[in-house]
Amino acid sequence: MEYFLQQLINGLSLGALYALIAVGYTVVYGIVQLINFAHGEIFMIGAFGAYATWMILGQPTDWSTTMSLLVLLPAMLIGGMVASVTVALMTERFAYRPLRNAPRLAPLITAIGVSVFLQEFVRLFYGWVPGFPDAKSAIPFPSVPGLSGESLQFGEVLIQMPAVFTLAALAVCSVFLWYFVNRTKTGRAMVATSQDPDTARLMGINVDRVIMAAFALGAALAAIAGVAHGLRYGNIDFRMGFLAGLKAFTAAVLGGIGNIAGAVVGGLVLGVAEAMATSFIPGQFGSSAWKDVWAFALLILVLVFRPEGLLGAKVVDRA
Amino acid sequence: MNVIIPDDVKVRFRVPARIIGLVGCTLMIASIFMSWSYGHTVLDDVGYWGAPSPLQLYYAVLPVLGVLLLAVPLLGRGRLGRWAKLVAWNTSAKTCAIWSLAVTAVMIASIAIGLGGLVNVDPGGWVALAGALIAVASTLFLPDSPDPNLYRLKSPQWVQILAIVGVMAVLLFGAAYLLNFENADQFLTFGASVVGVVMVLRQFGIFSWLSIAAANNNRVLVTSAFVVAFAFPFTQNGSDANMSIASQVLIFAATALGLNIVVGLVGLLDLGYIAFLGAGAFTAAILSGSAFATIDWVPPFWLTVLIAGTVSSLLGLLIGAPTLRVSGDYLAIVTLAFGEIFRITMNNLDGNDGPNLTNGSNGISAIPDLNFFGFDFGKAHVIFGIDIGRFANYYWLMLVVIAIIIVVFMNLNYSRIGRGWVAIREDELAAEAMGVNTFALKLLAFAGGAFLAGVAGAVKAHYDVSVTPDQYVFLESAFLLAAVVLGGMGTVMGVLIGATILKLLPEKLRFFSDYRLLLFGLLMVIMMRFRPEGIIADERRQLEFHDEDDALAVEIQEEMRAKHVHLNPEPKEWDL
Repeated sequence: MEYFLQQLINGLSLGALYALIAVGYTVVYGIVQLINFAHGEIFMIGAFGAYATWMILGQPTDWSTTMSLLVLLPAMLIGGMVASVTVALMTERFAYRPLRNAPRLAPLITAIGVSVFLQEFVRLFYGWVPGFPDAKSAIPFPSVPGLSGESLQFGEVLIQMPAVFTLAALAVCSVFLWYFVNRTKTGRAMVATSQDPDTARLMGINVDRVIMAAFALGAALAAIAGVAHGLRYGNIDFRMGFLAGLKAFTAAVLGGIGNIAGAVVGGLVLGVAEAMATSFIPGQFGSSAWKDVWAFALLILVLVFRPEGLLGAKVVDRA
Repeated sequence: MNVIIPDDVKVRFRVPARIIGLVGCTLMIASIFMSWSYGHTVLDDVGYWGAPSPLQLYYAVLPVLGVLLLAVPLLGRGRLGRWAKLVAWNTSAKTCAIWSLAVTAVMIASIAIGLGGLVNVDPGGWVALAGALIAVASTLFLPDSPDPNLYRLKSPQWVQILAIVGVMAVLLFGAAYLLNFENADQFLTFGASVVGVVMVLRQFGIFSWLSIAAANNNRVLVTSAFVVAFAFPFTQNGSDANMSIASQVLIFAATALGLNIVVGLVGLLDLGYIAFLGAGAFTAAILSGSAFATIDWVPPFWLTVLIAGTVSSLLGLLIGAPTLRVSGDYLAIVTLAFGEIFRITMNNLDGNDGPNLTNGSNGISAIPDLNFFGFDFGKAHVIFGIDIGRFANYYWLMLVVIAIIIVVFMNLNYSRIGRGWVAIREDELAAEAMGVNTFALKLLAFAGGAFLAGVAGAVKAHYDVSVTPDQYVFLESAFLLAAVVLGGMGTVMGVLIGATILKLLPEKLRFFSDYRLLLFGLLMVIMMRFRPEGIIADERRQLEFHDEDDALAVEIQEEMRAKHVHLNPEPKEWDL
């Protein structure tokens, strides 16, 4: 039982990470029907932005726990968000917007190009900033006193503090998202645009701005996920966006793409499924080397049996 | 390059502009008799006075073309007769001037970088640069010509055949010559001049004429293309370096052609295509009789090829059957996920995390060379006194594979199935309403494309000698897709060109190898933005991407009508 609870907690915290990224896919897809393939790279840039903030703050290692949690961590989050939102808006403006009325294949291929470009850009040029480490191999992520290496103990169940941070971040973000979508003008404009862009435009909604807001929203959450990823695994790397992005997309499809609550649920389910697969599948196929295979197999199964996702009501088949 | 100059100004100044342009071109031609560089180690030693180096002679081709393009219209409309309208003189001259400037810039940059500073550029270089700038500036003052109408020109068949054969011969020797440049600066200079000349000829309208000649003499074209490709190893004098590149290009191209069916004809974005190549390669490796193979059975190669293709297409069915129903963007991600599943699985089947089939990340090495009815692909042979090495053997084998793929592709393209595919690509709902069995056709394309990749993979396994899972990462799929997109989705010629560019440039320009992927990503974004139909545009596809551009629609209609008129000597009323 303890083992099961432990795995459940592990899965949930991993799933929270996926969920934070998946929101970005789902929001953008809901509005422009684009699989923003480069969203994984936005997540990676969020992490590198947070690292850059830490460098600019003078690489603090000996701050007190209170100072770190109240100043350092928020500063890193904001730095990461600034970086990821800027890059996301630039990709939207220069790569996707000119293709808004092109055949569907074109933006998807552009997204692959953007993804490769952003990865390589970070790999080649991150180390050019004076004092910054070379990004050609993994960079150790700064430890935040009070989070890194700490853990909570509930009976037999051990929860790492970064996992607590990820879950807390997801909880806060979910509340924020709910408020944003249901109670703010921009949020409601977003819902309207995703339901019917033409009518939304007629009602006086600036669709361009809504799309930019969608990209920015996704990027901000991805940056939080980037910091969470850095704290959880202890290092960041220019390739980290590929797999995480793919998993997050799986989560978005799992929950029903276009549906924000679905992305959160899908992320959590995917994380738990992955954790359970590695702990409860017997024999060689239960080893952690297979966990990605199980996650992707889940994606394919969902598409076969429930293409609209767990919570989704959107029509999937867009011919 | 469109600097806004009022049209009436252009018309008024066209004669002085031509004369000044001529001066610019003459300066460039004159410059090849001067020394370009102080040192003698860059390019092919351009530091002599009065004795142009070969590279300088090639450099002069563009300005000489420029002189022709600028001088001939000076004769006046009267003496030119119908030629005045058939050729886009001014636009060609402008293109010529711009490319001359580009090549000059490449050469000067090579000298400056190679010798350390612009100080090392001698007067010749500066004279050429000045000439090029003058030519560019003056041609901007020429009025835009109407689109070239050269394809209206009727010509006897023997002229057309001669032209095709001539082009093929130029292609053969040009390619052989280009490949022999060892230094990146020479390669770039020569390559840029060649591209420049091609661009000028395109503006001139020669290619539209040639495409009609080609359509008229399809058999001659195909035969001569294969003769040329077949003859290529004989131009290499037994050197293996270029043959190795050439056979890699062919393997890559064969795979890209398979992907072209899936993406270009049917419009299904497959991001895990490399997995099918990998499946073929692993199957062939396991059945190859290598010491590391996990199955002892060694079937003859023709059977191995069939098994490899079948395994791949079964995988294609396995992945396609569930996902092709939901269609759309999901397919892209599912195939991407499938590609990852394949790679991870091949990594894990090492006897530790799963049953031992592939030796995990070490893969299967020491795959023996092919032995086809006693013909050993690993041995060098002497034909007509020229050594034909191991790579040339594989080159020829791949040539046969590609020939088969092209024949299949062409026949499918014009068959009921092919038209069904294109209909699905253009509008799936409409196609279904018209009675096209969309699911079956999509599945057929998916499995068929996978089969071709499996066949290519089987050859690749023997060619590479070893097969490891990390050869089949997502990036390779992206490269294949880029070859298709860059060259032109849905066309054979375009994909061949795209594959050649993507494989050849990194081999020859090693100095930028670190920036290769960066440029590659950028290139995909820019292509999609400005020329989504690729270098060689499939006409239907081009219209699809520019459905609001009426002028283009008219142009394509005109061209197709001209083709039709050529093919049918007694044209009746004919409309698209």
